[in-house]
Amino acid sequence: MSVMGKALFVDLSNKKTKEEKVEREIYRKFLAGDGLGAYYMNKLLDGKEDPFGPSNVLIVAPGLLVGSSIPTCGKTVFFAKSPLTEGWGEGVFGGSFGLALKQAGYDALIIRGKSREPSYLLIDDGSPEIKSAEHLWSKSTRETADILKKDEGKDFSIACIGLGGENLVRYAIIDCDDRQAGRGGLGAVMGSKKLKAIAVRGTKDIEVTDPEKVLRLTMEWYKKLVESQAYRDDTLYGTGEFLEWMNRERGTFPTRNWREGVFKERKEIDPYYWVPRYSIKNLACIQCVKPCGKAFVIKEGKYRDTKLDGVEYETLFALGGNCGNPSIEAVAKANELCDLYGLDTISTGGCIGFAMDLYENGILTKKDTGGIELKFGNSEAVVKLVELIAKREGIGDVLAEGVKRAAKIIGKGAERYAVHVRGMEPPAYDVRGIKGMALAFMTSPRGACHLRSGAYALELTGKFWKYEGVDRLSSKNKGKEIADMENFMAVYDCLGACKFSRSLFLLDGFSDILEAVIGERYTEDDLLKIGERICNLKHLFNLKCGWKKEDVKLPPKMRIPIPEGASKGSFVSEKEEKEMLLDYFKARGWEEDGKIPREKLEELGIAEFFDH
Amino acid sequence: MVKYIKTYPERCTGCRECEQVCSLFHWKVVNPYRAGIRIERKGVVEHFQYICSHGVNCSFECMEACKFGAIKKEKGIVFIDHNTCTGCGACTRACPNQAVWLFDGKAYKCDLCMEDGNPKCVEVCSQKALEVVE
Repeated sequence: MSVMGKALFVDLSNKKTKEEKVEREIYRKFLAGDGLGAYYMNKLLDGKEDPFGPSNVLIVAPGLLVGSSIPTCGKTVFFAKSPLTEGWGEGVFGGSFGLALKQAGYDALIIRGKSREPSYLLIDDGSPEIKSAEHLWSKSTRETADILKKDEGKDFSIACIGLGGENLVRYAIIDCDDRQAGRGGLGAVMGSKKLKAIAVRGTKDIEVTDPEKVLRLTMEWYKKLVESQAYRDDTLYGTGEFLEWMNRERGTFPTRNWREGVFKERKEIDPYYWVPRYSIKNLACIQCVKPCGKAFVIKEGKYRDTKLDGVEYETLFALGGNCGNPSIEAVAKANELCDLYGLDTISTGGCIGFAMDLYENGILTKKDTGGIELKFGNSEAVVKLVELIAKREGIGDVLAEGVKRAAKIIGKGAERYAVHVRGMEPPAYDVRGIKGMALAFMTSPRGACHLRSGAYALELTGKFWKYEGVDRLSSKNKGKEIADMENFMAVYDCLGACKFSRSLFLLDGFSDILEAVIGERYTEDDLLKIGERICNLKHLFNLKCGWKKEDVKLPPKMRIPIPEGASKGSFVSEKEEKEMLLDYFKARGWEEDGKIPREKLEELGIAEFFDH
Repeated sequence: MVKYIKTYPERCTGCRECEQVCSLFHWKVVNPYRAGIRIERKGVVEHFQYICSHGVNCSFECMEACKFGAIKKEKGIVFIDHNTCTGCGACTRACPNQAVWLFDGKAYKCDLCMEDGNPKCVEVCSQKALEVVE
């Protein structure tokens, strides 16, 4: 019920495909989406794979509630070993692809091998076919989707890569309906397989256990969602609604490659400024009644005809504040280019801000940048660098490797300016003043990430779910908090539930829903257990990939106190960093070096994956 | 009494929740192909909404085209009797608004949720891109 009971395996090397039954027991243990991904990644990979080699897999799995009509639960997850972190890689997105894949009959699509020529995978209601994509190679994401819809049928859903993925930019995305599986370079994995696109059409019915009850719950949750404060914020101003608050009230908006926590020139990038001027309507993920996307259109001037679904909070930081870029039009243009070339806006902005920092400190010169005056605040340079990165031209070729590798290539002390955790450029939370998030950046299985824990809301406001009185400036008692939040959020990624609905559904909101949809009731504790199981599996995967405690550290800039604003003077010391990490391992029941004891995996029913 | 559902594509977000609830209400499964409303995305910011106007923007061409009397009208609501529908597709070709389609050998279109008189698609459209006109 609401699951299709099958996974599709495609091997691009020998062009063979096969279907495999997914046993009921697997759904019980892992639900779907994130859980199925964690299961298959551990089952199929031993961690020693080259992320760009044929043995890496690319997996996509729709959340359990995709196609259940339960509002804001339409998300789907892509997985692969990440070329950016060389460990666990996943990216969640809200395009129509997951619904189409499910209707084609699959809860997971698993792609292995490597095609010799550019190709695309066509799945028409469950008859997979590998076709030539010579005519699509080097096309943008939007052009690719348009051509495939014209050739195959307009009701196909298209997941594809742009030039970034083709050129193996280590933070290339996979696009579907201008919604992106954004982080960790999964688009580059697709590019390494010479797989330009996956086109899916599915027409099968998605069944639920109790249709009347599901419809009633859909209507009830619809009302709760649209009457919430989150609805007003998201639909009026999008995810960047709290940008001004993050600057003024918290002073934790990372600015100019994490030099400052307040972006003084923020006037234009604040959604309260740009939404009334540039947004023509709201845009949503599939199955979402709480649209946080904005249809951003520039009608005149240098960047006229720019059209995109955005600009998200994280992008306002990455291509805005982090580059000292005060121009919303330049941010929007750079965002659109990232979408068309298929690049992660967060990592792209992280890399550009890093390069600007190096330039201002004399480590990069005009000779390196091909004559570009790469100073903070140079809006045109931000737009230009997106193109250079996607095309891997000039300095863009180095930056396409991500800040960690780029710093090594550049040398001359560039490491001091490279802001990353385990190779991943972080999102817009200056964790020097949000210490629980500093820990979350370290413990997230995919490298510096705000969404695996989603603890920023709890930390910044002091309360969420069962937590109250949390002090963001203290490093005490963060281990259990972050582990709890990671378990909580993993459930959301199994269900395909949007994390911006988390204060409404919490976990117990899903008890009735799951009973009506799949006929089984789960308590909050049941769900947390599943979340814990999945978090352990992801960490286990990282251990297989060679994860070491010594590699889990905050970037050097986190030792420098925030110079001004509401978090002035705050930083994370080495002692705090170590204590928080140990506290977390303890809360997880792991060993002091971060390894998982066999007993823990036995307790979680996943000892079959033990190998260290 | 509900006369028809008016569309406002300039407000449509493309979430397609309308398709899901329509299908669930009428057919007890989720399958957008069985819905009486269809949303199509064009480019990055545009959407088209296809739904029957029950005579407001047409002259009941579908009824005229149906040789089997499978398209009926009661109290102003035009609906398809699936027991009689042969799936020939004449109605889909006749409709000037592309608001009738074939799926799995039957024609599908909006019936204004005549069973309880409360169109479900409108109920879940938070952006008011669909509006009941009485």
